[in-house]
Amino acid sequence: MVGSTPRTETGFADTTLDATQIFLQHVATLPEGQKIRNCIQCGTCTGICPHGYAMDFTPRKMIASLRAGRIDYIFRSDSLWLCVSCYQCSYRCPSGIALTERLIPSLREEILVRGGGVPGELQTAFERSSRYGNPFGESPRKRAAWTKGAGVEVPILKPGDSAEVLWFVECFPAYHQRNVEATQALARILDALGVDFGIMGRDERCSGDTRRLGGEEGLFELLCQHNLTELKTREFGEILVTDPHAYNALHNEYPQFGAAWKVRHYTQFLEDYLPRLKELMTQELNLTVTYHDPCYLGRRNGVYEPPRTLLKSIPGVKLVEMARNREDVLCCGGGGGGIWLDSFIWEHTRVPLPMQRIQEAARTGADVLAVACPLEVSRFEDAVKTAGLEGRLAVKEISLLVAEAIGLEGGGRQ
Amino acid sequence: MKYLVLQRQVPDVVEELVIADDRKALDEDEVMYITNELDDHALEQALLLKERHGGQVTVMSVGGTDARDALATAMAKGADRAVLVAVEREGHADNHQLAAYLTGFVREQDCDLILTGVQTVDELDGSLGGLLAHHLGMPYVGGLAAVELEAETTTVRKEYPGGLLAEMAVTSPAVLGIQSAEQPPRYVPISKVMQMKRTLEPQEFKESLPDVRGLAISGITMPEPAERAEMLGDDEEEVADRIVGLLRERGVV
Repeated sequence: MVGSTPRTETGFADTTLDATQIFLQHVATLPEGQKIRNCIQCGTCTGICPHGYAMDFTPRKMIASLRAGRIDYIFRSDSLWLCVSCYQCSYRCPSGIALTERLIPSLREEILVRGGGVPGELQTAFERSSRYGNPFGESPRKRAAWTKGAGVEVPILKPGDSAEVLWFVECFPAYHQRNVEATQALARILDALGVDFGIMGRDERCSGDTRRLGGEEGLFELLCQHNLTELKTREFGEILVTDPHAYNALHNEYPQFGAAWKVRHYTQFLEDYLPRLKELMTQELNLTVTYHDPCYLGRRNGVYEPPRTLLKSIPGVKLVEMARNREDVLCCGGGGGGIWLDSFIWEHTRVPLPMQRIQEAARTGADVLAVACPLEVSRFEDAVKTAGLEGRLAVKEISLLVAEAIGLEGGGRQ
Repeated sequence: MKYLVLQRQVPDVVEELVIADDRKALDEDEVMYITNELDDHALEQALLLKERHGGQVTVMSVGGTDARDALATAMAKGADRAVLVAVEREGHADNHQLAAYLTGFVREQDCDLILTGVQTVDELDGSLGGLLAHHLGMPYVGGLAAVELEAETTTVRKEYPGGLLAEMAVTSPAVLGIQSAEQPPRYVPISKVMQMKRTLEPQEFKESLPDVRGLAISGITMPEPAERAEMLGDDEEEVADRIVGLLRERGVV
């Protein structure tokens, strides 16, 4: 009878030993993938993982299971979907194992290919990203709709057009209601600085980074190829990104597929304009500000200082640090598909990560929690409301603070 | 068991719909097509039945090039056979014509169950499932949320308004209109879909369309904005008086 192949609950038709070996061979072909063999089972990954306490299969145990030829053990556990790709384990691993970049995404990919399913909200994000190029299911044609409220001209580069700077806006900054204001602020800043820039509008698709870390490598490649094709038809000197996850994709992953452009996060880009910005920033903000390092700007890519330099240069801003800062930062929980795993993770964990983090921010006595990643805005704002800190702690993208200091809240240069 | 799933491409309402110059159809340059959501549930239900009882799932996809892509997705999910039904756009949303068109081919497949979504966003002249069952001389039951096979009969669960559920027995062969599968449609990774797209050569069904018409479109217009809701203010006493007044005015109390 067709379709009656014996299956176990995890969808294995072959033996688990073979399946494990095929998986390990596949991981070994990935960049840095072969290092998985160097695991000394020290458990650092497990101790540092913000969700390690809720995992029955911690990263250490996952590797132990693979060595025992029992990949199926990992797939029977929910632990794989508790990873928010914060990069703590990879950063701390004494053997340099690419746990966040390779092990977890490959295991997730394997379970997807085997038909093991994926938590519902993440599945929806995958499906929408594949169809519409954004995880919200918004019309791709409306990707540049935010420009209408920018108050300045935001040039949309068509194939054949050129600009000094190509701004890769990314999904959250382009569509999400809580991010659009900061995106518009950045457009005004670029305009005020006289930067020759442009965006790709509806031709841009999601960078795909969190989809890749979420286990959808094929979807990542589809989005990457689309963006590369579009980027190649425009002429520009460098790429500016708003989202650290897009920064990670364009800076670290796209080169494998043939990208060779200089990529900078907007905080790095603006740091270069500091002398001019200092002249423009004439408004005193009188705020105590603390800064949250996004995992994919800081820990993953080592960009710690430009956001701080910008904040400290704003008149009237006093920068205070949280106990955990720079490489020690506690993740907001949104990465690696985490932003679409909230309900799933909620069922398995205790205090949500953004809730823990805003308490740390509140303890500094800061008026403002400054962020440099669009995922953090809604995550921290929601946590602030839940914690009853509304009115005491505001969450603001750095671009918004800079624009306020220049006096660009409502439109272009006055 | 042999299962036949009918899937249709319908306008994706995520995009703003643009009416063509003749005001009788959507502007083909602006419309994006997507597999009818409930047809995806029909596929999921068929795949679940195949997993439980064995059998073969044939997917027929009606539409243009998007229908070909939908077949690749269906095959990657676990369907066994793909049939592309290329239909010109103007005949597509006319279910009387589509049912008459598909009848001969569907009958030849000699299937036990024919599953399709109970409705689509663009159907105006009744459900395809019921019309097809009429031509095939088979029983039809729609609005289904579960299907189970037993020795001689198929037991289906039908949803009624107000949270009522009915369990019914249907003799095979039958046409089933699926409201929702027993679980959400499964996810298939893009790598599998792309692989399938590269290799899939679906059987094609194309004959001249029968001279049957379910409806004649005289014109399409955008909905006209209704009058804005009236806000009754903040003062509780005043609001309560206004509500009582309005209810009296309309003869409710």
